[in-house]
Amino acid sequence: MIHGRAGVGKTRLADECAAQAAASGYPTERVVGSRTTALMPLGAVVGLLVDGLGQPDAHGHVHTALLFEQTRRALIQRHEGRRLVTVADDVSLLDDVSLALLGYLAAQKTIFLIATVRTGEPVPDLVTDMWRNGSLDRVDLHDLSRTNLDTLLHLALEGPIEAGAGMRLWEVTQGNPLYVRELILGAVESGALIERSGVWHLDDGLPPTSRLQDLVEQRISGLPEQAHAVVELLALCQPLEIGYLETVAEPDVLEQLERAGLVTIAVPDGHVRLAHPLHARVVRDSMPRLRVRGILLAQAQRLEAMHSPLGPAALRMAVWQLDAGERPDPAVLIRGAHLARDTHDFRVVRRLLEAVPGDQLGALGSLLLGEALYELGMFEAAELVLARGQELPASEHVALRLAVTRVKNVHWGLCQPEAALAINIAARVVVISDALAEELAADEAAVRMFSGHPDRALAVLEQIKGSDLRTRVVKAIVGAPALAAVGRTAEAVRVAEAGYADHVALGDELAIAHPATHVINQVFALTEAGRLAEAEQLARAGGEIVASQRVPIAQIWFAANLGRVATLQGRLATARRYYAEAAGLAQANHFAGPRRLALSGLALACAMLGDLDAAAHAIDERAALPAFGFLGPEHQLADAWTAVAAQQPADAAELFQAAATRAAATMHLTTESWLLHDLMRTTGQDTSPRLAELAATGDSPLVAARARHARAAQAGDPAELAAAVDGFEALGALLLAAEAAASAADAYNQTGDQRDATAMRRRASALAACCEGAVTPRLAQAESAVPLSDREREIAMLAASGLASKDIAERLYLSVRTVNNHLQHVYTKLGVTSRAELTRALGGAS
Amino acid sequence: MTPEQIALVQSSFERLGPLRPVMAARFYEELFSRHPDLRALFTTDMAEQEVKFAEKLALIVGAIPRLAELLSHTQSLGARHVGYGVRAADYRSVGDALLAALAAVIGDSFDAATREAWTVAYNLVAETMLDGAAMARPTGS
Repeated sequence: MIHGRAGVGKTRLADECAAQAAASGYPTERVVGSRTTALMPLGAVVGLLVDGLGQPDAHGHVHTALLFEQTRRALIQRHEGRRLVTVADDVSLLDDVSLALLGYLAAQKTIFLIATVRTGEPVPDLVTDMWRNGSLDRVDLHDLSRTNLDTLLHLALEGPIEAGAGMRLWEVTQGNPLYVRELILGAVESGALIERSGVWHLDDGLPPTSRLQDLVEQRISGLPEQAHAVVELLALCQPLEIGYLETVAEPDVLEQLERAGLVTIAVPDGHVRLAHPLHARVVRDSMPRLRVRGILLAQAQRLEAMHSPLGPAALRMAVWQLDAGERPDPAVLIRGAHLARDTHDFRVVRRLLEAVPGDQLGALGSLLLGEALYELGMFEAAELVLARGQELPASEHVALRLAVTRVKNVHWGLCQPEAALAINIAARVVVISDALAEELAADEAAVRMFSGHPDRALAVLEQIKGSDLRTRVVKAIVGAPALAAVGRTAEAVRVAEAGYADHVALGDELAIAHPATHVINQVFALTEAGRLAEAEQLARAGGEIVASQRVPIAQIWFAANLGRVATLQGRLATARRYYAEAAGLAQANHFAGPRRLALSGLALACAMLGDLDAAAHAIDERAALPAFGFLGPEHQLADAWTAVAAQQPADAAELFQAAATRAAATMHLTTESWLLHDLMRTTGQDTSPRLAELAATGDSPLVAARARHARAAQAGDPAELAAAVDGFEALGALLLAAEAAASAADAYNQTGDQRDATAMRRRASALAACCEGAVTPRLAQAESAVPLSDREREIAMLAASGLASKDIAERLYLSVRTVNNHLQHVYTKLGVTSRAELTRALGGAS
Repeated sequence: MTPEQIALVQSSFERLGPLRPVMAARFYEELFSRHPDLRALFTTDMAEQEVKFAEKLALIVGAIPRLAELLSHTQSLGARHVGYGVRAADYRSVGDALLAALAAVIGDSFDAATREAWTVAYNLVAETMLDGAAMARPTGS
């Protein structure tokens, strides 16, 4: 007996067993219980009655015992004594006589019975008896766990899925395999589930398929009228209080629904919901419009009678009235929109406010609607609404927020920083009180910073006192990345930390970035400071939080920053994946600027992995996007490294140099250091004087380590190069450490210090092995393997295993002196001085 | 799997570096201490077995981003394991032992997200090995 909930795969498993039996040469038969056959004795098992229904006796009765025995003999004869493997699907729906026949045939071993029973349906006595006397095994099937759902999705989609999409599918299906199947098929077909850069994303809502509708309707359609009404009510208006539901239905109706697994009742607050999120959607979709309207209006009136129309119930009231096709009071709609905005539900904000007649929207309504349109990626529409809103009478507060939201939309959405700046400056006419004017100035600094001018941003920020909490928060959002960009990294980290604390104190307000922005800034500042491990850890933690809250712009920035950190760590395959993820998310959410930055990172990582095609592809994709100034010079790393990978060093040098010049002109000093250092790494050009200046200007240990490396490489000083290796390794910049070690080895070679050269060479290859397949000119030059002769290797292995020279000599029939001679060579070649180091050098662990 | 999970599995495995043999040895320790009965399935030299295990694991971890390549490793591996007498239930024991060995060798940086990523990755590998096993198991009577 296979037992489990509807859609869990009982029938599929039973059929699979039958198919295996058939493949092994057994005859098979299928018996299906249904509501129709349940009314007709033996209706379901006609297929087994090979000898017909039997003849009635003179009194018109059919003797069942006789009929059963005749059937048994006929089956044996037909199948030549082989047991008939019989799948009885939904045995709860079989009539008693059919059940008795199955029981008889199974007991006589004429058939091998595979029965399915749905959770919540009564298990027939006969089946229970067979189970009790041990002639039936019971298999309980459960819905998929989260992990198993992930595996199924991976196999079905043949690739990874973006975290938010996986989470959404889990929430909607709760692991029910049938629902998973139907939703995935529907979503792939409708294009809601779409693959970008090798990762699956979920763009729109999940459309239910008609088969899904049938399945759910089947489950609901058998319910008595009152229970059905409760399900419909919940589908439209859930959650509802249990106290209220008890007034509209008999008490045992709810109990019955709960027992059937259709509703859940939360213990703490007594709220009743449909047990499965999908049921609500399907029931809603299949209800006649008039009925929906009647229920929604009645419920809205009930709320209205109980609560103030502008209280917390306003959101539900407004949505229900809209769903019912009514025109709710604009005041209720705007109040509802505020409540929806508090939970970042921008779709509902838009829906409510678009129902407000244009002349009644007001400045505040325009602000809310404009912001929602921006968040939903509808930048042109947002610009119209916000520009119109600015013409309406408004308080100074609302005027300021309208201005900064419009600036953000024009800058980040429409990618027009000049126009954004003009809007900011125009707003100064209406925003005049001190604190608000300061916030407007901080907003100007934001445009300057994120259009590629940290120098100008800092100049503006210096004029802002920031006595007001909100101004301080906005100032920190710009200040932290600007300070990091000019190399004042310690200060940048502090500003980001303080900004986050201030933002938490302020609360999540209108017309200001998400609080996670400060965490993103801190990640950026830590990266520029070369505190790579800390940056990585913080970005991973932050990324998980914003993925669960579905804040796409923050998800994009965390992924892109993880890509940056991984690039600097030399973990290039990891970098490639994070950048691809960021690019896909940016595309899905219509953010052209961040997408440009992510595609640049993707091209950079691909080029450093030697995958020239992929790098060129990312650069092509980038070319179609509008210009975007934030970290502009850094984008050029992609072009320069693509030239390096294409073996065009002269082009690469020119690209590095041009980008570095632009970085210097706009005070992107940490970026300039990155560019000049890479120029030195790839072409050998001496950039050490400027790198030293940059190191002296700022406080970043990463910038300092680059300067030190360049100076040592220029001087060919082996000890200094070795120190550079330590420096990079301490920061976790393993690719740079590997390259410095390769250079140090060459330098030791030059000075004739063979042992140190060998040690460095070994260190270079160990470090390079951590770089996930990096292909850079310096690494290509370095020799990788250490040549030991066979005999040397044999002796080295024995020594590493702890044998003394004397024992080795005995074992290999050599003199102790010869063994020691060989070991001496091994020590020199491997650059080790002790047995413990030797063990490590040979890949041992102790 | 999510791209982040793939990155976590690969980077944490990458960082094991020279400790891979230690992890392999620890894996068998964990496995046999939990299920001494499984010891009987291994007839070859354990040192050799550990090397094979570490090599195969490296191949599989490397192939995770490309499903077709992953399947080519796991399905044939699963098919071979039928012949070794491995049952479906043993896959859970192996997964537990693998996670315990990774946790022990990786140490503090084996955080909740890394564990989750390895759990999902192992599940994917085990499921596809079982697929291979099912294809290999003869159905004739």
